[in-house]
Amino acid sequence: MLKQFLCVVATAMTLIAQSLDSAKLLQPPTDSWPTYNGDYSGRRFSTLSKINSSNVGALSLGWVYRIGSGGAAFGGAIKATPVVVDGVMYFTIPDHVWAIDARTGREIWQYSWQSKGGEHIGNRGVGVYGKWLYFETPDCNLVSLNLNDGKERWHKSICDLDQMYFGSVAPVVMKNHVIVGVSGDDLDIPGYLESRDPETGELQWHWSVMPKPGEPGSETWPNAEAMAHGGGMTWVPSTYDPELNLLYLGTGNPQPVIAGKARQGENLYTESIVALDLDTGKMKWHFQSSPHDTHDWDAVQTPVLFDGDVNGAKRKLLAQASRNGYFFVLDRTNGKNLVSKEFVKTNWAKGVDSKGQPIPNPAKEPQIDGALVTPNQGGAANWPPPSFSPQTGLFYINASRGFSVYYIYDDDDKPEGWGGNDKGGWAEAMLQAIDYKTGAVRWSHKWEGSGIRSGVLSTAGNLVFACDPSNNLIALDATIGKPLWHVNLGNAMSNGPITYELDGKQYLVVGAGDTMFGFIMNGK
Amino acid sequence: MSVSAGIVQSTAILLAALSCAPLVDAQPPRPSTGTAQFPDAPGKDVVQKVCGACHGAEVTIAKGRTRQQWGEVIASMVARGAKGTDQEFAQVLDYLTKNLPVEANAPGPSAVAAGPALPVRRQTPGAGPADVQVVDTAAADRGKTVYIAECITCHGQKARGKDDAPDLVRSLVILHDRYGNSIGAFLKKGHPTQSGRPSASLKETEVGDLSHFLHQRVADTLRSGPYSKVINVMTGDAKAGSLYFSGAGKCNVCHSPTRDLAGIGSKYDPPTLQQRFLFPGGIGFVRGGGVARTRPVMVTVTPPSGKSVTGVLDKIDDFSVSLRDAGGEYHAYERTPQLKVVKDDPYAAHHELLDRYTDKNIHDVIAYLATLK
Repeated sequence: MLKQFLCVVATAMTLIAQSLDSAKLLQPPTDSWPTYNGDYSGRRFSTLSKINSSNVGALSLGWVYRIGSGGAAFGGAIKATPVVVDGVMYFTIPDHVWAIDARTGREIWQYSWQSKGGEHIGNRGVGVYGKWLYFETPDCNLVSLNLNDGKERWHKSICDLDQMYFGSVAPVVMKNHVIVGVSGDDLDIPGYLESRDPETGELQWHWSVMPKPGEPGSETWPNAEAMAHGGGMTWVPSTYDPELNLLYLGTGNPQPVIAGKARQGENLYTESIVALDLDTGKMKWHFQSSPHDTHDWDAVQTPVLFDGDVNGAKRKLLAQASRNGYFFVLDRTNGKNLVSKEFVKTNWAKGVDSKGQPIPNPAKEPQIDGALVTPNQGGAANWPPPSFSPQTGLFYINASRGFSVYYIYDDDDKPEGWGGNDKGGWAEAMLQAIDYKTGAVRWSHKWEGSGIRSGVLSTAGNLVFACDPSNNLIALDATIGKPLWHVNLGNAMSNGPITYELDGKQYLVVGAGDTMFGFIMNGK
Repeated sequence: MSVSAGIVQSTAILLAALSCAPLVDAQPPRPSTGTAQFPDAPGKDVVQKVCGACHGAEVTIAKGRTRQQWGEVIASMVARGAKGTDQEFAQVLDYLTKNLPVEANAPGPSAVAAGPALPVRRQTPGAGPADVQVVDTAAADRGKTVYIAECITCHGQKARGKDDAPDLVRSLVILHDRYGNSIGAFLKKGHPTQSGRPSASLKETEVGDLSHFLHQRVADTLRSGPYSKVINVMTGDAKAGSLYFSGAGKCNVCHSPTRDLAGIGSKYDPPTLQQRFLFPGGIGFVRGGGVARTRPVMVTVTPPSGKSVTGVLDKIDDFSVSLRDAGGEYHAYERTPQLKVVKDDPYAAHHELLDRYTDKNIHDVIAYLATLK
């Protein structure tokens, strides 16, 4: 069993890691979901079509798994996208990992970490490599477990709890690198991304979001101290193009987050999409989604990779629906901007500059007497993953259009930490289908209510799966946005949906609150 | 499986320990395992339903608050997507105010200056280590006098650094310190002081007091810190606000300063008034902490064969709609193309205005409304 298991994992990883060319990008594995995004492209598109727009009405509940059987014992919600290899599904909530049978939902093992603290707001899941699993803990550890029995192999400290860093992101294994990010939004601390050895957990490279004094980018900070405490957390898993050997990362907000008086300048490389050499961690290019942000609109939303035609030329592309309300398409070989367009209406920018970067309107920075801003702090998009379908050419994002008032609370010349915040609000929610060639919203399905934060999955069955604000998991026609099937889960979907095929049957799995739901197409 | 069994056992012990001790003086400390529970009290189920949909109890119970502060937290959560009825939010407010009062965050009995790192309760909202130093305010006040005597000239009033003197709020010596253990070791090595007194001669109690003072400065910068309040929204021109009210804003189509808005300037403090007029459908709190009343969304449903039913909208999505009629009776319908559904949101005009207001309009209108005492 173990040997076979190893073989399958190795094959899956090899397929992705060694030979993922442009054509293979379009053919991710179908019997597994081996990374946070299912493959390295971040598209969350499956070539499976046994569940499709003709038969989705027959999609049925196959199994249910509630964490902690009593439900409330563990608290919180499943925000992890499960990883599936060799018929076993692995997922997390903060400090806890589960292995369940991907066919039946039955528990195989469960692991708990004894915590020394840290923010327990959410955990995005695990990375796998060979027979090992990796996850981060709120108290700043990277932990490796044996996939077979959940026994700990080692753990390594990856951040400083006293500075209020914490671990929440799902590690992603790329070649022989375990890529780990860090979280933290209380004190003013620098963000970074690290590569760790999959066997030992030792550091391979460390990329600092902040430049050092004198380096390119340092001119976008007023002084070395502001730069050394400038934020830029690495909240969301990276994507990867094996052909270019480049890793793509969206970085978090500058700090102090709202009160930016003592960090004048563009604040590179916060709120940027950056391309790093996978083997060295050296930055190849950057594009800043929000220069000098003061609204907590981290630009960590998944940089989605696909190939396509823009302006008549076939290109390697990268697209992001950013928290600030803008949809960006870049040439991922060099970071050159091709499309910048709002995917919801905003009021904070004066347009875009020659590089395609939005120009923030200083009047919409937080003010002592308040500035009415849209999007609100939650953003037009947030961490829940979007999806891109090469079949429809549409980029799907569960979006929000909200207003709130941003205030400066600390009028000191050197505000620190949370010297301001936003208050109140009104919002509406919609699933947006964006034409990547122009950034135009091809169709928009407006939900009743607001506040939904769920991931999206698209499939070759001409389907998009998303959750509405009323806890309905909905399958929509990917081409025209018409709802075709739904089920009320009782809680909002709290992660990104996944799909895989085992024994000839296609499964759809979503997490909602403390429960994992496995749907199955039994019919034809 | 051994991994699993051990965990179940330790979790059970932890839960037993938690449920036996009242939350406000939980000793030994709550380990931060993500298994923290809301206190057992009426309303717990509603809190778990409304708050637990997104986050664990730990995030909520980390800090006690006043009723007004809890109200602001709830309002902020509603804006971030928290789901519940007005009644449920009112229950959540009552529960949190009663069971997690501001005293829950008061310093513990650990005011031993420069003692060993003591097990303490968390004071930050989830972030940071479980053994974070709990600031003793009396010790911090004493530490302030030490700071003023020896440190303030170089490190500044808020300890945020000046010229070449480091920012102590961001200092790793301070952040790694517990009750003076790092600060003491640092000062023992020798450091300039204002009085010229050798830093190594500072007594252990003085170092401990200084530690509390500096940790208090760090805590000041958190979301829960003392700066987290609106300073002043009264910057507008009341006369211009009055003109907007009856002019471009068309507020006077629905409102009157002598009828429904009479006394509105006394009912709400200005920051709340600003929020209420921009987002009247949200949860809001009047001076003193009562919940502001909001008008419900009404809906009229007309089946293909049958007569219309109008009532207070209960729930609506793409697939169904439910309401309560004037008699309190519940009606629910599957939504089909033949079913006519017309919503009447009393605040629709306010939502449309969000795209039209300038910030100047907003500040002028507040200045005007505040005059309606």
